[in-house]
Amino acid sequence: MRRFDHLNATSIQEATSALKNKSAVFIAGGTDLIGRLKDEILPGYPELIVNLKTIQGLDYVHEEGGLLKIGAGTRLADIAADPIVRLRYTALGQAAGRAASPHIRRMGTLGGNISQLHRCWYFRAPQNRFECLRKGGKTCFALAGDNRYHSIFGAVNGCIAVHPSDTAPSLVALDARIKTTKRTIIAEDFWDVRVASCTVLDTDEIVTEVQIPAPDVGARSAFVKFALRKSIDFPIVNAAVFVGGGAARICLNAVAPKPYRATKAEQVIAGKSIDSRNTGAAGAAAAADSRPLEANRYKVQIAKVLVERALLECASAA
Amino acid sequence: MVKEEEQNGSEKGVSRREFLTQAGWALGSAALGAGWTPSADERALQAAPEFESKYACPVDAQKFATFEELQAHFATAHPHVAAPVTTLRVNERDYPVQIEPQWTLQQTLQFKLGLTGAKTMCDRGECGSCTVIIDGKPALSCTTLAVECEGKSIETIEGIAANSRWNPLIQAYMKHDAMQCGYCTPGFIVTAKALLDKNPNPTEEDVRQALAGNLCRCSTYPRHAKAILEAAQGLRDGK
Ligand code: FES
Ligand code: FES
Repeated sequence: MRRFDHLNATSIQEATSALKNKSAVFIAGGTDLIGRLKDEILPGYPELIVNLKTIQGLDYVHEEGGLLKIGAGTRLADIAADPIVRLRYTALGQAAGRAASPHIRRMGTLGGNISQLHRCWYFRAPQNRFECLRKGGKTCFALAGDNRYHSIFGAVNGCIAVHPSDTAPSLVALDARIKTTKRTIIAEDFWDVRVASCTVLDTDEIVTEVQIPAPDVGARSAFVKFALRKSIDFPIVNAAVFVGGGAARICLNAVAPKPYRATKAEQVIAGKSIDSRNTGAAGAAAAADSRPLEANRYKVQIAKVLVERALLECASAA
Repeated sequence: MVKEEEQNGSEKGVSRREFLTQAGWALGSAALGAGWTPSADERALQAAPEFESKYACPVDAQKFATFEELQAHFATAHPHVAAPVTTLRVNERDYPVQIEPQWTLQQTLQFKLGLTGAKTMCDRGECGSCTVIIDGKPALSCTTLAVECEGKSIETIEGIAANSRWNPLIQAYMKHDAMQCGYCTPGFIVTAKALLDKNPNPTEEDVRQALAGNLCRCSTYPRHAKAILEAAQGLRDGK
């Protein structure tokens, strides 16, 4: 890596004000950032890295006032192992336990997992070999190139790279709120497609907490993931489902530049019993708007089946 | 290099050096100085060479005999350059070390402390061959900044190999020949040690789960579980 300065922030204020004078980025677990810096995939290289791990009080999981509150600095492994999360917020526990590898789950934080940059082999190719849209260039190389892992629901701002987070679809399905240093954002509105960023956050804005409304008694949620390897792998497609009060919330990820809420599937399954006939229809509805590219038609079928499986898992857990 | 004291007394189990030779490991020949005689396990660690570059000024490349001299030079010659000088606690020994903020822990261990056991295979956090234990938890040293490790307790394969308590683990790896080229092996053993610290009586599934972040290009996977389960038994029996 090229040289940068490093600051161990001791408070949120210190971290955000450190950004005033220099081009700086935050580091939490570092599992996405360090690879990015090594490969120098972004046009600008930071002068300063601000460490958020040294800020006390960003690492917690507890229920309070009808909400589950998770500090943004909480490690994925701790979320996956938390008994309350596993029992009542199952989709998040399962997602946190399936992301990456055990080592990375012990290092990576929830705030970082939802803020990680897109995965696209043109975008991520070392040394900016492809000056794509996400770097301020004019071309999306994946459109004409090898797009087997790319979006099946079209582009956002011209980019068809997918958002690879495993926890993101669970947060959308569980109707989470993302609390930052400036505001509270509905999970669904948290992601965006910009040059060098995949969230709506300002450069000096930090995620501090994730809040999930406590589910009603009898509500269920589930997360399923399809990847080429069982461990150390990003999803080809993943899906999270929340079922409660006769309605469902269904979200897919790795199928579009942002986590994809499958509202048509939600409508199909709403008020119906969750059995293989209805879930099949819901799966089909989830993919109804898909527009696969030349090389990723196979992902449509995977998306359908994952929605079915996640729904059935909720039913069998009931 | 720290001088080896003459050791009489017989050695229990496999010394680090025997282990390396028998197992055909390439932990890095630099770690084994010429004329190095095996002595007490704990002494093996002291053999880590102190690289010449250890006390070189990163700004003007001037060399210094001691760390204190480098610090003094820095304070007078480059007062405006931030020079992270810190103490890293590795294998229960404090190493004063001058590090650049952009150095990974793996680089620092290898090039500053001469501890060549934690290796980079992918250098991107994907393979686990650089695994070390930080404050009791296995972590990827290629994806950890050394400046963020101040005040933490780091354990590397060298520390495990030098501690006779972990002989059963190393013996089991040798017995089951759980390696081919050996490049990934330190990462696996460090991960296994962290597992056995926490769970002395793991099931095969526990072992497989714990190792799910370690890749082996030679495909030695089935042998790791066998070796670790046998080692767990040996450790419980206090062998
Ligand atoms: S070298 Fe660190 S994970 Fe591969
Ligand atoms: S033994 Fe060769 S990589 Fe594992």
